[in-house]
Amino acid sequence: MTALVTLERVGFSYPGSARPALRDVSVAIEAGTVTGVTGLVGAGASTLLLVAGGFAPRLTGGALTGARHLATERVGIVFATPWTQLTGLASTVLGEVAFGPASLGRPREAVLAAVERAIGDLGVAHLAERDPTTLSGGELQRVVVASILAMVPDLLVLDDPAAELDPAGADALYALLPSVAARGAAVLVATPDTERLARVADRVLALEDGRLVRSGPPGAVLDDTDVARIARAAGCPAPLPLDVAAAVERVVR
Amino acid sequence: MPPILRPVTLRELVVIRLGVAVNLVIGQVAAALLLPVFLDTIGTVLVAALVGPRAAIVAGLTSQVLNAVLSGNFTWLPFGLVQIVIALYAALAARLGAFRRLSTAIPAGLGLGLVAASASAPISYFLFGGVTAGGVTAVTTVIRALGAPLPVAVAAASYSTDLLDKSLVFALVAVVLRSLPHQMAVRFPMLAR
Amino acid sequence: MIGYVPGRSPLHRAHPYTPLAVAAGLLFLAFAFRSPAAVWAVVVAAAVFAAAGGVLGAVLRPAAVLALPTWALLTVLHGLLGGPPHLALGPLALSAPGVERALVFGGRITAILLAFLTALVTVAPPRLVEAMTARGVPFGRIYLLVSTLTVVPRMRARVRQIIDAQQCRGLRIGGSPLARVRALGPLVVPLVLSALAEVDEQALALDVRGGSAAGRRTALAPPADHAADRLVRWTVLVGVVAVYAWKFAGAGR
Repeated sequence: MTALVTLERVGFSYPGSARPALRDVSVAIEAGTVTGVTGLVGAGASTLLLVAGGFAPRLTGGALTGARHLATERVGIVFATPWTQLTGLASTVLGEVAFGPASLGRPREAVLAAVERAIGDLGVAHLAERDPTTLSGGELQRVVVASILAMVPDLLVLDDPAAELDPAGADALYALLPSVAARGAAVLVATPDTERLARVADRVLALEDGRLVRSGPPGAVLDDTDVARIARAAGCPAPLPLDVAAAVERVVR
Repeated sequence: MPPILRPVTLRELVVIRLGVAVNLVIGQVAAALLLPVFLDTIGTVLVAALVGPRAAIVAGLTSQVLNAVLSGNFTWLPFGLVQIVIALYAALAARLGAFRRLSTAIPAGLGLGLVAASASAPISYFLFGGVTAGGVTAVTTVIRALGAPLPVAVAAASYSTDLLDKSLVFALVAVVLRSLPHQMAVRFPMLAR
Repeated sequence: MIGYVPGRSPLHRAHPYTPLAVAAGLLFLAFAFRSPAAVWAVVVAAAVFAAAGGVLGAVLRPAAVLALPTWALLTVLHGLLGGPPHLALGPLALSAPGVERALVFGGRITAILLAFLTALVTVAPPRLVEAMTARGVPFGRIYLLVSTLTVVPRMRARVRQIIDAQQCRGLRIGGSPLARVRALGPLVVPLVLSALAEVDEQALALDVRGGSAAGRRTALAPPADHAADRLVRWTVLVGVVAVYAWKFAGAGR
């Protein structure tokens, strides 16, 4: 497996900020995997996403130290709030999703095929002719993710993507991530939603105050899902079950 | 490539769009407060201070076109020249540090009121016989009815409304710039000068 | 106030640039002439233009609403308060040159309104975007003209929210003129700051979707530009240039 992004002892500070947002982070993100990033607010999770995706310091300003190797330019990023991510140029969902591939100058048939696939994957095909400004937050976020997937990125970066979605929508979104990875992309997702992350991530990076403090499979890194806390309180031995399914399995055993 | 000619970055484009949107929407605030001002150049002035003169001109002209599209009143289109004047004046004022204090911003705004009215009065007089916006023209009519010749009436109406409007715009932009959080302010190199 | 109204008229089916070119041509012609007869010929031409789009009824009402205050003021400003000679019209003494001027200026405004409202009503914004994209208009220009309008409703909603929120905090909307001017700050500053805070994310989202892509964008459904369209636009251009040349030649004599 090839490492798509490699960070070696990377530090990053935003412009005008004395405190570094990232300190001495070394990590390699492989293609075909789902990597989760957790940490308290201000711990540097969002910054790690921007640095790994090549967006910082190019579009944010700031100072980067250490070495970063990004093997591709085809990076997609999804943020938590849907409305700020709309181009505002499309009167239909179809047009909105098509904007990305069309900007790359791909031939018309290829664009339409990519769009059809993306809206199918995200379950928004029934909204194709709708005006994006009339959609609900959850529907809109799915359209935004479809817009990014239509560009077939090699690296998909998501910053708390399900923050505004209802539980069913959030489940569907996270369930999509392994299939995106299976197509060969690398997926990097930062979220406080440790339970859903535990279900889909191959590896989790835990950040604290800008440093990478833990890295490994979800079971080893995450121990603060609701289910895990209950299990710990009940005196369950490590490794703690992280979600309901794992807990049920434990109890049954 | 000299700085004035380099292409606009995406970030600057988003800021210009913000300026245009604020121009189009700010009338709602003035109306809620029942103030007889437009304030519809506040976005242009803000862009002038944050990005620069070229961006401000684009913001001003775009606002002119979109205002016409939204209100249906396309007779405002020829006043695009005034938008250019406003943009350039505001950029110069920003460069000279007029927005650092209210005590310099307000006089600078009065100055813009004079300049802008001087630019728009002739357009209003020669192209439209002194009649365009309802509020300004009502003032024109009153002054004319009092016996002043038409060019004087048009000028007087133009100047009085513009002086108030532009000084308020400059004062508001000064307050906004002062309220910018440090981390936001550093992203605008124009502010450092 | 008024927007695109779907239809099957020649104007609706024309290339989007064509109605816009005709409207611009009528605007230039309206300013070229000085006599009431000539200006009102342009008004009639604008009305014919609207009728060609099948929208004369639709644009007359907004044109009237916008023009009526101007007409009233013109009548007072020029008709009643103009110079001699005066015509007696019942109890009123109207200034003859004043009436003539009122007809000219009023006619100009009426012609411009009819022409551009017709263009507004017959040109569908998505088709215009496609036409501009197909012609290679720079992305920035299209973005500013089209995307801004989709941002406006959200910003208007935010203005209402801010007004409500500040009133809850004790801001008085009424009162003396000075108090109302002071209330501007607490309303305008939060609006601008909250909009500025979104700039980074919006710029990133746009960049990721290919906003800064240098090459030609694929137009998915470019409107057809028939020979008739090009003929009409060229005729408008030649006509306007000819009229102005004649006007300046006449003035030079």
